[in-house]
Amino acid sequence: MQDSLQDSQTEKRWLIALSQGDASAMGGLFELYGERIFRYTYRMLRNRTDAEDATAETFLRVLKRSAELRADGAFRTWLFRIARNLCIDKMRQHRLIELPPDATTSGNEERTALKVAVQQALAELPLEYKEPLVLCDLEDMPAREAAEVLNISVPALKSRLYRGRRALRSKLGGVVEKTDEP
Amino acid sequence: MNRDFYRKLVDLYAGGELPQELEEELEAAAFRDPELSHDMTTLRQTVEALRRSEDVPFTEESYQRILMKLYAQGVDIQPKAPTPAHLQYQLPIFG
Repeated sequence: MQDSLQDSQTEKRWLIALSQGDASAMGGLFELYGERIFRYTYRMLRNRTDAEDATAETFLRVLKRSAELRADGAFRTWLFRIARNLCIDKMRQHRLIELPPDATTSGNEERTALKVAVQQALAELPLEYKEPLVLCDLEDMPAREAAEVLNISVPALKSRLYRGRRALRSKLGGVVEKTDEP
Repeated sequence: MNRDFYRKLVDLYAGGELPQELEEELEAAAFRDPELSHDMTTLRQTVEALRRSEDVPFTEESYQRILMKLYAQGVDIQPKAPTPAHLQYQLPIFG
């Protein structure tokens, strides 16, 4: 709680500086959100190089529109929305040129197999289901904020989220039950 | 409470969004209804597996490559730490 309050004050300071033409404030915003945006774009794109490109482009777009910035608390939503649009553009390009996803993580074999299965199933879900799952279950974003990023109502977000979880379960079949552990 | 009501709560249960009291009531109802129990358990396991599944390492290499891309576009951005030696361009040494 204390951290998030401090983050929001820090964000406000950097936004005011950037909107007043202080381009070096971008470094502060990047420190605050660079990693989160990278993780989000990686989850959407499943490819490190693309995620790095999308992250850099997200911050470039912020800089280009820095005169419009307002320190009113909506910056994070706006930032995620920019990143999301860039991811969607890249995903459209990938339909023409299929890029391989990055190799996944280590761990014991069963858990790694489950992680791979979940990631694979998530990647195969329609975008309308995948996006709420990434934002709410992986980014841990509140429903209201996720709805704003996706430009839909909260009930619509929840409906997609719940249907997405069920679709994920169907895709996983019995894999989750077999490998479930305390 | 009736069966349909409990079924409607399963999605909230799976995401851990139910108040404790209602969650316990739903779990008690699931004892008497194997179908409901299966739906609750598998959906919650799916959500938990999803939440545990992602380990996206934001590596130093990625951090530096993003900074490079921003520098290349003329962005004045100060890195949090000096670039590690293995990521710096090395000049050939002659002589």
